[in-house]
Order: sequence, then structure tokens, then C-alpha cells
Amino acid sequence: MAHFVEQIIYGLTVGSVYALIALGYTMVYGVMKLINFAHGELFTLGAFVGFFFLVTLDWGGVFGPALAIGLTIVMVSGSTALAGHLLERVAYRPLRHSDRLAAVVSALGASIFLQNVIMVVWGAQYRAYSASLLPQVIWRVAGQSFPLIRLFVFLTAILVMAGLYLFINHTRLGLAIRAAAIDQGAAKLMGVDVRKVIAVVFIIGPALGGLAGLLVGVYYGQINFNMGQLYGLKAFTAAVIGGIGNIPGAMVGGLLLGLLETLGDAYVSGAWKDAIAFVALILILVFRPTGILRERVAEKL
Amino acid sequence: MAAAPLLELKNLVVAYGGVEAIHGLSLSVAPGEIVTILGANGAGKSTTLMAISGLVRPKAGEIHFKGQRIDVLRSHEVVQLGVTQAPEGRRVFGPMTVEENLKLGAFTRRGQDLEPDLARVYELFPRLLERQKQMAGTLSGGEQQMLAIGRALMARPTLLLLDEPSLGLAPLLVKSIFATIKSINESGVTIILVEQNARAALKLANRGYVLDVGRLALEDRAERLLNNPQVRDAYLGAR
Repeated sequence: MAHFVEQIIYGLTVGSVYALIALGYTMVYGVMKLINFAHGELFTLGAFVGFFFLVTLDWGGVFGPALAIGLTIVMVSGSTALAGHLLERVAYRPLRHSDRLAAVVSALGASIFLQNVIMVVWGAQYRAYSASLLPQVIWRVAGQSFPLIRLFVFLTAILVMAGLYLFINHTRLGLAIRAAAIDQGAAKLMGVDVRKVIAVVFIIGPALGGLAGLLVGVYYGQINFNMGQLYGLKAFTAAVIGGIGNIPGAMVGGLLLGLLETLGDAYVSGAWKDAIAFVALILILVFRPTGILRERVAEKL
Repeated sequence: MAAAPLLELKNLVVAYGGVEAIHGLSLSVAPGEIVTILGANGAGKSTTLMAISGLVRPKAGEIHFKGQRIDVLRSHEVVQLGVTQAPEGRRVFGPMTVEENLKLGAFTRRGQDLEPDLARVYELFPRLLERQKQMAGTLSGGEQQMLAIGRALMARPTLLLLDEPSLGLAPLLVKSIFATIKSINESGVTIILVEQNARAALKLANRGYVLDVGRLALEDRAERLLNNPQVRDAYLGAR
């Protein structure tokens, strides 16, 4: 158990990335009852937009690491938010009154389309972020090592999620999003413009997913056009573990999945890492399909 | 009925996926009235209210409110004009507190002081004050109905649509809810009341409309409907 604390921190770091992506799935599902299958590709897009600014334009060399990362976060979130908004307008909004299956097929189509656009623009090979962007600092405390980059990823994700939590629970728009997720018709009767709420979740979710892509690029150093498939699937698993549609659930589910995977990797077998995640998904679906944070109150009729 | 009608439905036709639920319904509501809409299950009562609120778009016909055509508006715009609804089945936001539910009722009143309105709702329904911080889903059926009505008042409506407020409630509670509806009306809110409890609704209302599978079967002053043999047989039960 020598590196137990290290493993926990690593698990939380990976988990916070899953959580960021999972939030996009869960917010869209909450309001539209639709799995946005293209969400993993928006994550990939975030990684490549980050690559464009940090590597192609070398913002790290131009602005210095701190400012470069700050500006890149803005550019990445902004561009994936825009892409998400366009996706909603083009692939989902025209199908709002159609059969549910039509929207699912449209989502799958959008996913394949985006993945191929990314491949055409940036190529099918792996692309590398520069390793020298963040200083390679590793703190050692009581025999455990804490790399700066790990803390950076974890803290960025946690900060953004805290911001989202405040937004959802303490603003007028946040209230509208929660209401529309509980009962879209009742929200309309309250005067909530549900079309606007849907537009907003298709801006916030992709922005968070894109940011997660950037963090993965900075953390692991290499990215690929189809990286969104596995991350998307893992994050979707995290959203289901927490209870799909439930915002705190996505955060908790992501962190939990990251911990589970990392500890499984360290103490069971690295080969089983992905299997552990999907076994967790199956167990949750069988034994607690509403997720670990199921609604605290049962609806009375 | 000398005054210009507050709400007017003209030959309204509503269909769900090709199946017509309402076939050409016309009715009007004068300012200050309580109008009840009666009819069996499937007569189209709730559909009529949903069409007024803009949740289902009519296939044909028009809805006018204060002289403005509203069937072309979106639901939130209808609320902004002063038409709110306490829908069938209450549809309170279960995982939110009573107070959050009430604040959502005032969603269209951006940036306004809600304290006087909250105080008024708590005065009408003291039970809600006791349960202020409780999740709405944990309330009893009667309390949820109070919340649904209170929530619909928070927008300061001109016209309040109530869909089956007595459904599933104990007789004593029904009496108290109906008394509250009366006092809401006396404070100047025009009300359309959809009810299965026809006797109680007709005692409260000024006028009534009876629907039969999507068509208007009868319309008259409430006390005359109460004594109408047809209505007595079909909706009031033998007495």
C-alpha cells in the first residue's frame, strides 16, 4: 500500500475529467431525455483546438505557461460551446417533434461526422502536446509524490464544477434548467422558455467536455481523433453510475469511476482497467438503475 | 356578459398526432368570472386548458386573450401575458423545496420583489408556510394541490386555469380548497375551473360549459345547469 495516497490522487484526477465530460451527458439527458452521442467528439474537438493554440501557434512560448493555459481554456471552451450549439441547431432542434429514435440516429450520425471532420483536419495519427508547457514539478510528501500537473488537472476540473454547481443552484437560469429537467411541461407552465434552456445546456455541456479534452491533452501529452469514443463511453458510465440526469450525480459518478479504475489498475491488474469500468456500469444498471444518487424523494401521486 | 370577453375560443380544433380531441369548440370568459368546464374523461377539458396555455398548438381555430390572439404564441409568452395554470396531477417539482416551487411560479417576473406574493400564498395556505423548506415531493396530495395553486398565483395572473383541483382529495379538504378558489376569485382573478366534481364546481361557478367527446354539449348559468335534468343524470349522480 506504499503508494496508496498517490493512487487516490491519480484516481481523483482521472475521475475529475470523467466527471467534466459526464456533466455534458447528464445535463442534455436531463432536459431532452436524449443521449448526445456526439458528446465524446466534442471532447476530442476540445483536445485538438487546445493542440492548435498550444502547439501549432505555440501560445506557451508566446505568452508564458500560465497565461497561455488561461487563454487556451477560454478558446477551447468557446469553440466547443459554439460547436455544441451548432450541433443542437442542425442535428437535434429540427427533430424535436419527431420520434425519439430519429434523434438518436441523428446523434450517432453527428458523432461519426464530427470524428471524420477532426480526422480530415488533423490527420489520423497521434498528435503530441509539448511536454514543456507546465514545469515538471513533483512534490514529495511522506514518501508519496504529487506531480504539479496532476494537481493542475484536478483543481481546474473541481473549480469549474464548483462554478457550475453554484450556477445551477443559485441563478435564475440554473433554476430553469433544473425545472425543465424535472418536468418540461410544468416548466413551460411556469413561463420557462424550454427551447432556450435546451440551447443553454448544449452550450455549457460541450464547453465542459471540450475543457476536459484540453486537460487530457495537457496531462497525457498525446491525442488522437478517436479518443472521444472510450472517454465518452467511460463518462457516460460515470453519468449512469451517478444517476443520469442528476448533476451532482455526474460529479460523484466521475470521481468514483476514476478511483475504481485506478485502484483496480494498481491493485488488481492493468489489463482489467476498462473491464472494471464497464462491469461497474452493468452492476449499476442491474441493481440500481437510477444511480447511486437516486432522487431523494419519491414522487407522490 | 356586456363587457368584452377576457378570453375567447373560436372554433378550436386540437388534434394529437392525427386524432382530433376537440372538434370546433367556442367559449368565452368575461373578466371576474368563474367558469367551469365539465365533462367525462376524454371530453377534452384538459386539452382545452393546455391549448390555452400554449402547450399544444391548435390545428384550427383561434384563442384570444384581452383581444390579442394567443394561440400563435409560445407557452412562456402566454404566462407573461397573465395566464397561468395549476395542471392536472399538480405536477409540482418534487425534488425542489416548496419555496423554490413558488419562486418558479414567479419565473416571468424577473427581478421583482416576491415577498408580498409569498406572504399572500402562505396566508391563503398556511400549511405551505410550515413546509416551506420541505421537498415538494414529500407533501401530501392536498398540500401538493395547494402548492400547485399557490405556484400559479405567483405570476400575478389575470386568468387562472385550474385542472381538477379536487382530484383525489378528502371531502373536507375539497371544501377548503374550493373556499380558497372563491377568495382568489374575489381578489380579482378570473378563473376557469375544470372539474369532475360537477356539483361543487357548479355551486362555485358563475357559468358552466359541458363538453362531450370534444364538442360543446351545453352552456348555461351554473345554477341552471345544476337543475338541468340532463346534467343531473349524466354528471351529478342520482339524488
